[in-house]
Amino acid sequence: MISQRDLADRLARRDPGAWSVVERVQDLAIADELRALHRRDHRTRLAITVHQDVPRGRGSARLDIDPFDGSAEDLVDHAISLALTAVGPAWSSTPPAAPAKVDVVDADLVKRELDAVALGTLAGLRRPSDLDITATAEVLREKITVIASSGFHTSWSATALRAHVRLATGNHSLALCRDARRADDLGLDLAVTDAAADLVHLAAAGPPPTGPCALWLGPEALLHRDPHRDDDLAAGGGAGAGLDHGIWAIFAHHADATVERQGLTRYRLRSEIAPGAAQIAEPLSITSDGALDFATRSAPVTDDAVAVRRFPLIDRGIAVGLGLSPREAALRHTDPNGGVRNLVIAPGSWPPGPSTTTRTIEVRRLYALSIDPDTGDASLDIALGLEHRPGRASPIPFTGGTVRLDLIGSLARARRSHQLLRRGAYHGPASVLIDRAELLP
Amino acid sequence: MTFHRREVLGTFGVGSASTLLWALGCGGSAAQVRRAPQVSGEVRTWLHDAVARLATTYPTVHALAVSRRRTTAALDVLGAGVAHLRTDSVVLRVRGRDGTWREHLTSELTGSGVDAAATALDAPRRRDPVDFGRAPATPAEPPELDDRELRHRVERLLESDASLSSRIVYAASLIDVDDAVVWSVAPGRDLEQRLVRIRQAATRAAWNGTRPVVRDVERAWSGWLDDRPLTPGDLATASQAALELMTPGNFADGDHPLVLDPSVVATLLDSLAAGLLTSAAARRPEVARRIAVGGAIASPAFTVIDDPGAPQAYGGFAFDDEGELAAPLTLLDAGRVTTLLSDHIGGGAGRGRRPGHRARLEPSPSHLRLVPGTAATTELYADGFALEGGLAATFDPASDRVCVACARARELKAGNPTGRVYADVELVGSLTTLLSAVDAVAREPAGFTVRGPSDRDPLWRSISTPAVRTRGLVRARRSAT
Repeated sequence: MISQRDLADRLARRDPGAWSVVERVQDLAIADELRALHRRDHRTRLAITVHQDVPRGRGSARLDIDPFDGSAEDLVDHAISLALTAVGPAWSSTPPAAPAKVDVVDADLVKRELDAVALGTLAGLRRPSDLDITATAEVLREKITVIASSGFHTSWSATALRAHVRLATGNHSLALCRDARRADDLGLDLAVTDAAADLVHLAAAGPPPTGPCALWLGPEALLHRDPHRDDDLAAGGGAGAGLDHGIWAIFAHHADATVERQGLTRYRLRSEIAPGAAQIAEPLSITSDGALDFATRSAPVTDDAVAVRRFPLIDRGIAVGLGLSPREAALRHTDPNGGVRNLVIAPGSWPPGPSTTTRTIEVRRLYALSIDPDTGDASLDIALGLEHRPGRASPIPFTGGTVRLDLIGSLARARRSHQLLRRGAYHGPASVLIDRAELLP
Repeated sequence: MTFHRREVLGTFGVGSASTLLWALGCGGSAAQVRRAPQVSGEVRTWLHDAVARLATTYPTVHALAVSRRRTTAALDVLGAGVAHLRTDSVVLRVRGRDGTWREHLTSELTGSGVDAAATALDAPRRRDPVDFGRAPATPAEPPELDDRELRHRVERLLESDASLSSRIVYAASLIDVDDAVVWSVAPGRDLEQRLVRIRQAATRAAWNGTRPVVRDVERAWSGWLDDRPLTPGDLATASQAALELMTPGNFADGDHPLVLDPSVVATLLDSLAAGLLTSAAARRPEVARRIAVGGAIASPAFTVIDDPGAPQAYGGFAFDDEGELAAPLTLLDAGRVTTLLSDHIGGGAGRGRRPGHRARLEPSPSHLRLVPGTAATTELYADGFALEGGLAATFDPASDRVCVACARARELKAGNPTGRVYADVELVGSLTTLLSAVDAVAREPAGFTVRGPSDRDPLWRSISTPAVRTRGLVRARRSAT
């Protein structure tokens, strides 16, 4: 079988401009109650990145392969050949920097048998007696090794867990999904308790009360992810970008240096992200932090052997930073930072609650969130909402309805809660209030 | 339904280039990766051994192996890129006497890898004699794929649009070749298929006021590169769609007679099949209450068939990932539910599919076909609107609410377009009500693809549908702030 060492040796002999080889040795256990299924995956994945310098510039290529009984020599030759089909302006790789100091492994998961962890996660799940609950637990343990042309060599272990839970009564159901690096961070019991309460609301829910309103987005709405979209937990830290940032994903997309260079972003670097965004009382600040311990998109280095860094994307309403690959960084004469990873969003001072002067729609859960990455327009399709009116003691639940938002403008001006939520790749306010919105049928 | 530009950028990865030096002779020789070391007979022998060992312990045994290569070439105004993916895997699946299913997946498609996977499922060294039935024919080898040739093809795709105007600020083209050899072995069944799936796509973007308008065109099929490529006419249509001048002013929201173009119908069909017509969907109490075999959920003009054996269908196959041979399933017959898509775990026999042929099984459509009617699309026109350019749909199976984003609504009066075209509208309402209101189906089908859930391990699906006439609520896709 082709090994990482074979590839590194061959690349060192061919000596293109720069290269890196990443090996992921993964062990994944899945316990699925619905299908009465126990599944175990053993995978090794290799990724080769080659930058080939020629007189007219530099070409790059990336190959993703599973090890197979082939020739490392042929594979490296092929990667170099591919790089030569994509030659662009010359740029130089930066010298290696120290990997980020970040902890992404649950020590307990390293020691225990993964099947037992998956089954134990399901066995330990809180199950209210009046609900039919089925769940799936996935547990991943992996070892990642990065070797690069600069002599860089690093290796680390990582763990990840994911749980899907479906709660149902006779007539209604809700699904939820949680990701974490540590078993203790999954927070399934709390999630089930919240969902059970929402199921009670759902049973009494009426049609959507359309019209203008203030919009209160709770944690499940802020970080909505399609529970039916079953992405591969083993895809790697760089995969699934946007899935775990919820409605904040628009800022991750607009901080992509390649998109910015194409001129397809709504705002440009060093300008306000929306008119007046810097003048409000609590301007929005967002930082990308790939070195946040136990966050799902944390890693010491990227697949290009670039050290992952913490850097600001938006500072008090002004766009100040971009996620920079080695190439984008070189073209901008700066250092790469590992791209946009976990989003850390500054809290505000808003105490979560309905407006005292106007009708407030509290969005508890969405069934779909669609974001146009270019325009920032978003559709929030509501699975469960609560209508609060000033002077009325208890809110009225409803299901259905859509809110369309210009996410960039709305979030730039939204009031953010002081209460913080840390989940997956997100660390920020647990709720936001958007003053002006309209609930559509 | 797909967002090609992001795929283009993803393909570039680190390799984005802003000049095309290949054309200036800077390219190296286009070396070929050696073909898969596994030959058909070898893999089948490994799988036979594993199944024979497992069959001594388990009453139900199935082995699925895949060797897959994906090559994506993309070119945009900034440069070109070619990306390669190679994945091999073996999934051994057993069912114990207690009814519990166990699966073991390994990425090591070798004799020792398959043997180790069987051992991990507690298979003894002993083998019982197993009759696997007739050996399959080895599928034909597709022509060799040369990266340089692929690159030239994608260049031609970008250049063959004579109508590229200076108002087009972004243009991209993409060719994606996904070549998978799949083996499926179980007692009494020994199968092999080669699925070469091709996609050609082009993207055009132009600014409309302060916001970009991005339009895609795509063709996808099973076969080889020259079977059904995009034509210059297709590309010109995408450019014109990006540049099309829209009627200023607001669209008046309301309930209208509608002609839905095939792309809009495709999004509805996908929502219908994936959200309501699978055994997994039927486990939801809200769906089980509404969907019953024999019940009417659409107009009598509506007959939907899932047909993986349709010629050159992108989502087609010879057998599914549980080893069930492809056969058409009529899901809706004259508007009535006739069957649900179901895998073995769901109690059915067909349409158990694994994303990438290796992820977890799920019941899923393959190639959905809405049976065409007899009228030409223009004969469906009356008063109302023609909705064109279905972009995406959100569907809540619990409430039956669907919302389809459409690129434009073309106003119709007395069976003719008035010339007014409104950008960015959405069709909203109950899916089954919309389908029940269909009173005519056109005769000219068009094809679409659906990929998901992940780009690395997609679930290849396709839809063939003509336009239909119905009635529903259409409104502007507006932002509140």
